[in-house]
Order: sequence, then C-alpha cells, then structure tokens
Amino acid sequence: MSEQCLFRLRIRYVKQGRLRYLGHLEVMHTIERSVRRAGLPYAVTQGFSPHLRAGFSSALPVGTGSTCEWYDLFLTELVPIEDALARLKAATPADLAPQEAGYIDVRAAALTSFITRANYSVQLVSREGRDVSLDGLAAVLDRVAARREIPYQRGRKTKRLDLARTLKGYAVHAGEEAGAFGVELKTYMDNEGALRPEILLAAIDAELRGEPDAAIESTGIQDLACFERYQVERVAQFGQDETGRRIMPL
Amino acid sequence: MRTVYEDRFAELEPLLARVEKPSRYLDHEWGVLSSSDASYRACLIYPDTYEVGLPNQGLAILYKILNAQEGISCERSYVPWVDMADLMRDAGVPLLSLEGAAPVSSFDVVGFHVPHEMACTNYLEALDLAGIPLLSADRGEDDPLVIAGGPSVYNPEPICAFFDAMLIGEGEESIVEVCREHERLRDAGASRQEILRALAKIPGTYVPGLYEVSHEGTCTDHGYTVPRPGEEVPEVVYKRVIADFGSTDPLSQSIVPFAELVHDRLSIEILRGCARGCRFCQAGMTYRPVRERTPDQIVAAVTRGLERTGYDEVSLTSLSTTDHSCCAKILRRLNRGLADTGISVSIPSQRLDSFGVDMALEVAGEKKGGLTFAPEAGSQRLRDIINKNVTEEDLDRAARAAYEAGWRRIKLYFMMGLPGERDEDIVAIANLADHVIDIAHEVFPKGQRGGVSVSISVSVFIPKAHTPFQWCGQLDDAEVRRRQKLLVESVRSRQVRVHYHDASTSLVEAALSRAGRDFTPVILGAWRRGARFDAWTEQFSLDRWLEASAELGMDLRRIATEPFDLEARLPWEHVSPGESRGFLEREWRRALEGRTTEDCTRTSCTGCGICPTLGASNILAGDRS
Repeated sequence: MSEQCLFRLRIRYVKQGRLRYLGHLEVMHTIERSVRRAGLPYAVTQGFSPHLRAGFSSALPVGTGSTCEWYDLFLTELVPIEDALARLKAATPADLAPQEAGYIDVRAAALTSFITRANYSVQLVSREGRDVSLDGLAAVLDRVAARREIPYQRGRKTKRLDLARTLKGYAVHAGEEAGAFGVELKTYMDNEGALRPEILLAAIDAELRGEPDAAIESTGIQDLACFERYQVERVAQFGQDETGRRIMPL
Repeated sequence: MRTVYEDRFAELEPLLARVEKPSRYLDHEWGVLSSSDASYRACLIYPDTYEVGLPNQGLAILYKILNAQEGISCERSYVPWVDMADLMRDAGVPLLSLEGAAPVSSFDVVGFHVPHEMACTNYLEALDLAGIPLLSADRGEDDPLVIAGGPSVYNPEPICAFFDAMLIGEGEESIVEVCREHERLRDAGASRQEILRALAKIPGTYVPGLYEVSHEGTCTDHGYTVPRPGEEVPEVVYKRVIADFGSTDPLSQSIVPFAELVHDRLSIEILRGCARGCRFCQAGMTYRPVRERTPDQIVAAVTRGLERTGYDEVSLTSLSTTDHSCCAKILRRLNRGLADTGISVSIPSQRLDSFGVDMALEVAGEKKGGLTFAPEAGSQRLRDIINKNVTEEDLDRAARAAYEAGWRRIKLYFMMGLPGERDEDIVAIANLADHVIDIAHEVFPKGQRGGVSVSISVSVFIPKAHTPFQWCGQLDDAEVRRRQKLLVESVRSRQVRVHYHDASTSLVEAALSRAGRDFTPVILGAWRRGARFDAWTEQFSLDRWLEASAELGMDLRRIATEPFDLEARLPWEHVSPGESRGFLEREWRRALEGRTTEDCTRTSCTGCGICPTLGASNILAGDRS
C-alpha cells in the first residue's frame, strides 16, 4: 500500500505501577498486541517478515516510569480519534494506558529523531544513618555535573556519559517525608546518546559516600549505598526547532 | 493457623530491582481470570520459571475451567529463579501467587503440574519457599491440600510422597470434582485423613498415602505398590479421559504475557492422542485414544483467540499435528483468512510421511525459520525396532519439499541408546544428515546456498513406564559418551551441526523414570545439596545426585541401567493409562524381531486395550490416508 493511503496516528501512553518493571521490548510487544486486540485497521510492513507497522519513542529503562511515552501507529483507514483511543484503552493493560492521540503527517520524522529533549523527575529516599541533607545533595550534584562526563561499565565495555552534551539543567528539592528528596533533570538526546538518570544517581551516590572514583556499572536498577530506594519517572518529551523553541509531539 | 490470604506484593517489590527479568513476578497481564472474592481458592504451580510455565496448555485449560466455576478462584505461581528465591529466603518472603500476591500456603488447594521427571527438585523448592511441609505425611490440618497432575505421572512413585493426591490423566473434569469434594468436606469440618480417603474415591485420583510398597513375589528391587490393608482404594488407578474431546473449548489460553517466552503465541490443540505406536514414546501410549477437532471448530477458535489475545502467531498443537485428517485443509483456510495481517500459522514438528509440498507452503506463511523432523533413528533396521514408520524416501521427499518451498534450515531429532542399537546405526545418523545437505545442494544452485544448514539433535533414550520398552535399562553413560563422539566424527559436511543431550542429566532422568518410592530420599538429598532447576543444564550437577544416592547406599547408575524381567511386577503398574500388559509384551517381542505395527487410525485395531478399558474410542474428523 502506498504511503499516501496510510494514516499515522500518534499516541501518548503512560508506564506506571508494576509495569514500570517491563523492559522496552516487553512494552513494545504488549502494545502491538493491544493494537491487534483493539481491532484497528493496522498497516503491515512490506518484506520478508511482515509485521505491524509502528514506531516508538526511545527506550525507557526497566524500573523507570513515564507520563509521556509515545508511539506512531500506521492505519489503512481513517478511524475517528476518539474511537481509536477508546478501543486502544479498552484493549491495553491499565498501567500502559493510552492518554491522548492525534493524526500527524504520514511523512513526519520518526519519534526517535524528532524527540531531542526529555525531562526526568527522580524521587530519592535516603538510608537511615546516612545523613543526607538537601544542601549536601545539591552540592554533590553540582560537583558531579561539573565533571562533564561519567565513565561507567556496561557489560565488558567501558562507556562515557557525556554530561556536557546531555545534561541541560537540574534542580534539587526536599521531598514530602524526612530524608526524601526530589531531583529534576532536563536532558538532551540524539543518535550520539542520551542521559540515563541511573548513571547520574550512581555517580551522586559514589560522591556522597566519599568514593567519587568508584566504578559504576549500568545494571538496570542500581543498588545505592546512601539511598534506600529511588524512583525515576520521565515527565516530558519534546522536540525543538532551530531557535530552541519547544515542539510537542502532537 | 492457616496462613492469611492477603496481598504481600509490597514485600516482593523491593526485590524486583535486584533480579534478572522482574517481569516474571509482576502479574497484571492481559486476560487474568481469577477473582479477589471466592469461597474456595486454588493455586496452580508450574515447577519452573514463569516463561517456561506460562505457555503450558494443560495448566491454561485448568486455570480457565476452575475460574469458570461459581465461587472458585484460581491463581498461578511459578518457581522463582535462583536469584529471586535466594533474595526471598533472605528477606523472609514466602512463595506468593501471581494474581493476588498471596502466600501459596494460604490457598485451599495447591496444584503442581508434572511436566517431566527433572522437575522433581523444584516441587521441593516451591513447597519449601511456600513454607508447606515437603512430605504429605508431615502436613497438618492447616496446610493446603497439595495435588499434582500432568503428562509425567505414569511412574508417580519417586515423587508421590510430596503430594496428597495425584490426578492421573486428563484433568478437565477431575480437577473440578476434586476441588468441589474438598470444598464440601472442608465446610463439613472433615479431617485431613477423611478428605484424602474421600478423594481416593474420585476416579483417576491416586492418594499415595493410602498405598504401600510390597516386595512379595516376582518384582524388581523397587517393589510394587498396593493398597494399605483396610483402605478401600482401587488396586489400579486408571487415567481420566475426555471421551467427547470435541465438546471442550479449543481456546484454552486467556493470559497474554509481557515477558517474551519460548512459545509466545496462540496455541490451539487441534487433536489429542497419537496412535503411531512408536515403542519408546510414553505420550503415544498415555494420550490415547486419538480425538480430532473438526476444521470448523479449529478455524473459529483461531479467529476468536487472535481477537482476544492479539498474538501475531498461532500454533496448531498436538503430539502429531500433520496427522490430523484435515490438516492441509485447515492450514489453507487459516492462511486465506489471515492474508495481509502479518499473522502466521505454525506447526510444532512435522512427521516425514504426511508432510507434503502443500503443507510446506502453508506453514508459517512468509516466516521461513527452521523446519523440524524427527526420524528418531538413523537406520531403517533400527526405525523398525522402534516402530517409527518412516523411510529414508519419506525424509528425502520432505526435505526436498521444504527446500523447494524456501526453507534453508532443517533440524532432525534422533535418539541414542535405543534397544538393539549398533555403531552402524550411529554412523547412519551422520549419513542421513549429510544426505539432506546433498539434497539442498541439488535444489539450491551454487552461489545461493547461504544459510543452508542441517542441525541434528540427539537425545539419550530413556526407558519410560507403560511403553513396550519399559523393561529396558538405559545405556551406560560412558558408552553414551563414546557413541556421541562416534557420531561427531562420522559427520562429513560442515553444514551439519550436531547437538546432543548431556549424558549425566539423562542418567538421573532414567533413574527417576524407573525407580520406586525407594528413590524419594535421593531426591530430597539432592535438593538439600542445592539441586533445583535440574532441567537447566547450567544448574544441574550430577555430583549432588551421586552423593545423595551414595549416602543412602543406592547406586544411581545401576538403577538407571538395570533391565527388568518381563515377569516382574513393576513399580508403576498401579497407575495406568489403560493399556493391557499383553499388548506391551507383544510389542516388545515384535521389536526384538524388527516387526512393525500399524497405526490403528489408519488400519484396524491393534489391540492396545485402551479404548475398552477407558470406555472411549478414536474420533476422526475425516479419513486418514
């Protein structure tokens, strides 16, 4: 079927609750199955192994939640937006529920190249006996951010998180309970890479316990010395025009 | 006090961050059927990880049936992988069900699937994590009723002490009868012993505690099992069978997992039973008679199943799918209906003699993965001994059809250590594989042979209960290793890859298949030494098993390899799929003479005795040719 006859529906969905622990492939498969269950007239790729045609925004790590994940679904018929959204909602697990949808230009750039900015909100709860203060945490974050890059291990490979390029802003605030903090991160991403908040958290943890040069391993969810638990949520994803103005996916 | 049924996910959640594949423990999948409100709770457990257990059709059927019952809620559990199990023990978190995240020990009934012998240490691992006494004899009034059932219950003796009752045969009806009777007696305030005695009266229910082992008369070292004096229980527990298989719902799956599984697709059981009569095959005896669903029923179930689950692949399952009298027609109808949807149809493994060009074209649509055939033995002489009625011409024709239809990878299954096997039969396996590569070279012109490969997978023959080979011993593991080496050295083509099963695992599997109640302490001893997930090569350690047997003064190798006398009473004859002993003896004699026996769905009755014993018969949807 030629491109002109296709319709491209862009959908925002959440990743929350227990389903935060799904990996990206698991999320993709679950959503593809939801689309088929919803009975939407989905388009199929051409070629050797035809499959449902969809494109997703960049991968979210296991354990990380989101209020703003996106996927593009190619349809062979125009389905009214409200109708499509209702059918998808009814066929998707609640913790991955679609929130809004709209048609976009069939030839628009893929989500992964369009979206260059992501904001994260991190909730941290410090461990008892580790006297983490708001000022102390802010100072440590300043020190880490000033390092411009963080080396870490992924499997056998040594990689570098390029903070100078990917960290666009940050803020620290006190959480609701004692010993709880919030960290807001503004990040930039492109083909060269993205900021994985957990690497930053591991670096903060290493600074806090006085071992700033300790090796960091990217192993999914981090076991931190100074924090009993943490939760990362992606809270915004958007693109930018030449002047740096924000362009929303819809 | 019975453990309280309550949601304890909050205790599990902090551990999720520290295990591989947290999605194994999440629940909340699409299609969950249990309800939070119920007067009777069942928890079905597959004795392996989530991704191995979830696709199991037997449990899916029972899950659906139990949840359809008024007042009954059925949940699932799996054995946590070693990383999670250790964390749970450290944190004091018991084994939980998936749906309600409630302690398994809080359920009325806990039902284990019995998929194969090597799962035996995982029952103990699960029971221990759940805080339920490992042995039926040690359980008290507050412990759940622990039952078991599945394909591998036909020598129940080595594992029977772990279970209060074992359901022999097809469980669709009997599991409901057992649960309802248990519920009624529970509400009437009956004691555990009274409940067990009542359950033993339900056909197909084996209550091991009401039986004992005798060594009187001609028998093996393991003895044989008889009712305890004074217990009114059947001397032989016959399997349950669904005579009208066509009246059951072909759509057994309800849950669509998040995790990527080995068998991640819709499965529709299109027929049950196989009467080909391969003499090594336990399933071929224990699933009889043959019952086919109609093409209409199958096509409708596929449509409904795909709509409900959203899968992009459907597999038509059975012991031998291409034997269905209407297989080609069903495939054609399905593929017509699924055109341009990106959804494909697959078949588990193909028989060489009924696999034609038409089916090759219909299977798996555009997805040309590998095709699997099971000649089982390399030479015609040995194939006649095992009654695998396929010829080299059948393989030729099937391989050619597959290559011409575009397949490039072919997988061939064989067994090693079959009765009567000689070195020349091993060499014949290699020759057959090389021959299939030659056919590929005839079909694909030079320069277009990229990706062409034949992989041969050779398992070790294990003599199984209720088969004509049940009297055989297993080939000694040192000799298995010598023959494996011979095979590898006999293959000429570099496009042939050889995989073979670990001889040590097979040794333990053989002992578990052949021993009696005397072997139970060995399983306990191996588990205490750390044995769990023994079906996983990287988790298995023969040393644990050898040490456990030595401690008890038992010789694992002898148990595995010693043949039994034809006259001896065997350890498993008190449970039965309904075959007559005379039939097995006759088949054993015919094997020794190299004489084959026909398939009763294609000719006349061959006298296995199962139909008259069980009051059922073969039901075909069309003519088999």
